[in-house]
Amino acid sequence: MQVDVLPQSDTPLAIQATGLSKAYGELQAVDRLQLVIPAGQFFGLLGPNGSGKTSTIHMLTTLARPTAGQASVAGHDILRESVAVRREVGLVFQESALDRTLTVDENLRFAGMLRNLPRATIRQRSDELLELFNLSERRHMKVATLSGGMRRALDIARGVLHRPRVLFLDEPTLGLDVPSRRGIWRFIEQLRREEVMTVFLTTHYLEEAETCDQVAFLASGRIIGAGPPATLVRQFGHYVLEIDGTDLDTVAAVLSPRLGPCLREGGTASFRVLDEQVSFVELQAELNDGVQAVRWRRPNLNDVFLWVNDPALSVGLDI
Amino acid sequence: MMWRPVWALIEREIMRMVRQRGRLVSALVRPLIWLLVIGAGFGTLLGDEASGGYQRFLSPGLLGMVMLFAAMLVSLSVVYDKEFGIMRLLIISPLPHYWVVIAKTISGMVVAVVQAGAFAVLLALMGYIGGGVSLPLLVLGLFATALACASMGMLIAVWSSTLDNFAVIMNFVIFPVFFLSGALYPVQQLPDVLKIVAVVNPFTYGVDLLKHALVGGLAPPLGPDFAAAVDITVLLGFAVVAISVACLRFSHESAAGVLDFLRG
Repeated sequence: MQVDVLPQSDTPLAIQATGLSKAYGELQAVDRLQLVIPAGQFFGLLGPNGSGKTSTIHMLTTLARPTAGQASVAGHDILRESVAVRREVGLVFQESALDRTLTVDENLRFAGMLRNLPRATIRQRSDELLELFNLSERRHMKVATLSGGMRRALDIARGVLHRPRVLFLDEPTLGLDVPSRRGIWRFIEQLRREEVMTVFLTTHYLEEAETCDQVAFLASGRIIGAGPPATLVRQFGHYVLEIDGTDLDTVAAVLSPRLGPCLREGGTASFRVLDEQVSFVELQAELNDGVQAVRWRRPNLNDVFLWVNDPALSVGLDI
Repeated sequence: MMWRPVWALIEREIMRMVRQRGRLVSALVRPLIWLLVIGAGFGTLLGDEASGGYQRFLSPGLLGMVMLFAAMLVSLSVVYDKEFGIMRLLIISPLPHYWVVIAKTISGMVVAVVQAGAFAVLLALMGYIGGGVSLPLLVLGLFATALACASMGMLIAVWSSTLDNFAVIMNFVIFPVFFLSGALYPVQQLPDVLKIVAVVNPFTYGVDLLKHALVGGLAPPLGPDFAAAVDITVLLGFAVVAISVACLRFSHESAAGVLDFLRG
């Protein structure tokens, strides 16, 4: 999907943040965050656990107060117009926020009434969303009887019941098995096709963010790289060369002059390969017996994050 | 005021009450045990088992007990709600955060009135209520007492970020509030120190108002201790102050980040 990264002057912004920070005592959870997200964009905030993703979402949805900086969501200031912000956003929390003692239908009705939606609207939206999320047949069942994937789907359905302008999804697939994760992504895709809204996603499964229009990498509360996923991956290189071996120092000494620094994880050294015409057979011939396996593959967002996140590699991204 | 969101909370509490039948049954059985066991025992001790005077005296206090337990349970569930994610749903609603306090208090009041109403019907069927009952005063007494109990629960709830042990609240709040009121014995006959505690306890005035409604005709000391107007003033005054303080506290904490507050 090719979408303009830089907001054009006439595109309204869904989210704008300047110097947004959150400290818990000594811990700087979010550190001077800058965000510019145009309306309608699918934005992914990516990073490992504890990098500050959830704190960012909580600040943007007015549930946590920034210790410094400011932000506006759907045109409303998060500090001065918190009720207006909450009216415009939908939030799907990391942990399920359903009432397990109520049925699927009752959960949606409760959420709709809390948002002051008329009963007829709630019923109509529930029908649509339960159909979309494949939950129609379970609408009269207690939430406690649903599987983890179904609960997540219901969480998301509830988050968009009131047609929010900005939907925040905090780790929507956390703790789900692979089929359920795929299912949830299918739902989100369908939802994005059918409803016009900005989606702000956080995840630490980086491969899930490849359909985003724009992503930003967060590490220790700071953005360390941002851009459209395809561009980031393209800038990263053509291939990743992975070498398993016992004597990685020698491998690095042989290959680094040609390929640059390597990223080491356990018994594996990875190199960025920028030259598309590289001959892997030639490279392999230069390596000695300490090498157990040589693989090359196309890079992905995980590689970009790992390299950008390692200060020793000093890989900058053009952002 | 947005009524639909408030109604959503009330509807949810009623639904939960009906579904958790054990809770509903025990809410009605607990005061019945008091009435039939303690009431009969003390009645014998006082030598009025024939007239059933003590058991009639006990009825308003037991109605109060039903409401004290019911309203406190709902109010204090604010603290539990966060564990099941419901609080998240409430705080992400487009309403000022103090609204959660008000709506929860109102739903606590409604649940308490429904349960006490059911118990009053039970009492009437058993013959403990009847003759000289003032229905308007009874309705007023039920609502005012339930409101005061729910506000008291909310006041505790906003100050407790974790309630790991409900027994603590039971032992240090609910039982003292119940015992140190006019529910089991006339306030006038309490020793001085306890009398002061009873006079300060808002629940005393709820029970007193219910005495006006149910046993207004009983001879002192079994009748009411205060004027009905005093009871109503104290109950409503306490509720207004308690809810305001709870709202302030909740808004103040939520201004600093409601999730940080809820996390404790």
